[in-house]
Amino acid sequence: MTGTAGVDRPPAGRPPVVRTMISGWSAVSPYGLDRADFAAGLREGRRETAVPPGDGGDAPVERACLVPGFDIREVLGRKGTRSMDRVTALAVATAGRLLRAPGGDRIPGIGAEAALVLGTNVAGAQSTVDFARDSLTKEKPYFVDPARFPNAVLNCAAAQCAIWHGLQGPNTTVSGGRASGLLALNYAMRLQRSGRAGPVLCGAAEEFSTARAWFETLSEPDRPPEAVLGEGCAMVLLEPYGRPGEHGRAEPAEVLAVEFGVHCEPEDVHATLASCVSRAFASTGESPDRLWAVAGSGGPGPEGSAEEAVITGILGDRVPVRLRGTDLVGDTNAASAAFGLVALLAWAENEPVPYGRTALVTAVDRDGVAGCALLRMGPSKGEAR
Amino acid sequence: MLSEPAGRRVVITGLGVVSPIGVGAREYAAGLRAGRSGAKPVRGFDTTGFEHTIACEVGEFDPAAWMRTLDPAALGRASRFSVAASRMAVEDGGYADAGLRERHGLIAIGTTMGESREFDRLVGQEVAEGPARMDPATTRRINASRLSVLIARELGLTDVEAVTVPTACAAGNYAIGYGFDVIRSGEADFALCGGADALCRKTFAGFYRLGAMAPDLCRPFDRNRQGMITGEGAGVLLLEDLASARERGARIHAEVLGYGLNCDASHPVAPDSGSVARCIRLALDNAGVKPQEVDFISAHGTATRANDVAEARAIRGVFGDATPRTVSMKSMLGHTLGAASALAAIGSVLAIEGGFIPPTINHVETDPECEVDCVPNVAVDADLRIVQNNALAFGGNNAVLLLGRHEERS
Repeated sequence: MTGTAGVDRPPAGRPPVVRTMISGWSAVSPYGLDRADFAAGLREGRRETAVPPGDGGDAPVERACLVPGFDIREVLGRKGTRSMDRVTALAVATAGRLLRAPGGDRIPGIGAEAALVLGTNVAGAQSTVDFARDSLTKEKPYFVDPARFPNAVLNCAAAQCAIWHGLQGPNTTVSGGRASGLLALNYAMRLQRSGRAGPVLCGAAEEFSTARAWFETLSEPDRPPEAVLGEGCAMVLLEPYGRPGEHGRAEPAEVLAVEFGVHCEPEDVHATLASCVSRAFASTGESPDRLWAVAGSGGPGPEGSAEEAVITGILGDRVPVRLRGTDLVGDTNAASAAFGLVALLAWAENEPVPYGRTALVTAVDRDGVAGCALLRMGPSKGEAR
Repeated sequence: MLSEPAGRRVVITGLGVVSPIGVGAREYAAGLRAGRSGAKPVRGFDTTGFEHTIACEVGEFDPAAWMRTLDPAALGRASRFSVAASRMAVEDGGYADAGLRERHGLIAIGTTMGESREFDRLVGQEVAEGPARMDPATTRRINASRLSVLIARELGLTDVEAVTVPTACAAGNYAIGYGFDVIRSGEADFALCGGADALCRKTFAGFYRLGAMAPDLCRPFDRNRQGMITGEGAGVLLLEDLASARERGARIHAEVLGYGLNCDASHPVAPDSGSVARCIRLALDNAGVKPQEVDFISAHGTATRANDVAEARAIRGVFGDATPRTVSMKSMLGHTLGAASALAAIGSVLAIEGGFIPPTINHVETDPECEVDCVPNVAVDADLRIVQNNALAFGGNNAVLLLGRHEERS
């Protein structure tokens, strides 16, 4: 119907005047609550599944990749959590871990001016469904819990992160299905380039719940059995080049380019993503020869297969590290690209990357968004470029 | 501390409106000038059991008239609004779809609740027949991302970044601000940005239970105001840089001058006037506008007790005794949530073009705690250069936008 997304056009935009460095990451995942848990799970390549809890009615799945021991009150305390839903708690906990130094203090240099950008699809599916159900089943249609109404609003998790962690900078929620984490990354970079933010906490969250399990199962009837549903939240800390070093932080990666397109027809998925990847390389002068690792979003439908085919096509006979979040932490849908990103960062801690090598994160969503991010791994602190 | 890059000038060349007081920019402008009210008894869902049932719904509206590619029946209600408003904005902007397809663009649509009507439908099916009987096609329509990406699919745009910005009731301004940044930096050639929401039972019940809703009318800044009236709709603006607009001979409605964002980070629903004032100052600084240059303020103005006092206090904290006239279009439109600041931005543009300040209707007596001239009940003629559009969202997400009459600069 329409042409292939501008393979031939020059790469978008001018060279960024602000270089965006990744200076930290955190993940609350089916491997556990902490970075070390995630890195260990990734290293061992295992996938942890569990039987979903029965609250909220029976889920239509037998097993899922659940964050172990994630009882909201146990993790975050009783204060301020009475009405908090699961996806919000996952985000609040992940932001808290990103901001916490090993001794328990806040990491230096991230004050109240910090910004937060968070990706989501529907926020908390369970709390939204429960709220709507109350209106239908209680004696009066307005016998709903007003304290839970903000859970049904899509920016709830981002706003609670700001409240919990004192983040008064721009606070933005973005939504693009499986590409949400990449859209958040691009939004965050632009906040920095336009001078609206210095440090930005950036990631995406997804909960497992009975409600989400029903929606995912009914909407993807051909979901392959290995595409077990997962949950969690993954975040990175983004800072302008040079800033992390001022606060004693390393810069494990630089975000070189983020590119997007839209596939208008199912058969366009391949061309759309391939075009994004081509532009990412062209705009940075990088070559696929220097790719060290690739992380795909691993959708359960035909889009996911097309994504894998694009990656295989780029790589040819090269064999870099190849990760798929779905294989590790399950299908975390809105959080899948964010998990791909932190998986690369965690892998680079396990297996030091030769300086200057690049990594690619891709995402394809069934509704149309496709995109990728190209990273340069390293340099370690102080290394000359 | 942070560098402020100079960039291209960002102009508005297309407007698309689906609102409770009119569809299309012309009809909407006429409604704003006339002080038309969109408040009527709810028809979109069963209101049995509610003691008051007034809302501002989009009335007669045929989405099929604005769709050539997509089947409106396969879209959720909010996406129908956003797609239709985008088609209108593109047509108003004098762009053929093919012209847009050759350019790199951003599509950014704000929302508060996303496809909330679809959620309600699914929950109704679940309650009636159990979860396994929920309609699979509807489960594929619930992601908020569809409000933006379906615009690309309707217009056949592949070389675009489509992002939904669900930053609650300030989302429209967030999306317009995002468009401003990518046009100003040269990262995109055009941006379709704005906001959309569909009224639904769950939202109505939530605001009702919070005590935030008036039983009959929305009376912003009035001593006897009782709260908001919920609404729905979409507003979409086509942005491009000045050179591109000139090159294709486009009509320029107005210019985006700048914006500011911040977060109260204090209370999920009660606005913090100090933080809102800081956001206003961020926007003025970003736009290079002095407070005395603002000709009127389009307030968030929900007509809840808390909002109007906090917002008026924030405005007076910045503008002092020289506070410009401060109106609430929500008096006419209701609170259209994610569409609200986009519709108010479009209203501000139409006011600049038409030389009038929209009224705050349903007004009897100004609350002495809200020391603003809200242009009660009747629009006034005014020669306008600069308008400020406020948005204050749940979660303390503030976004303030500055719009200006397009003038050649030396």
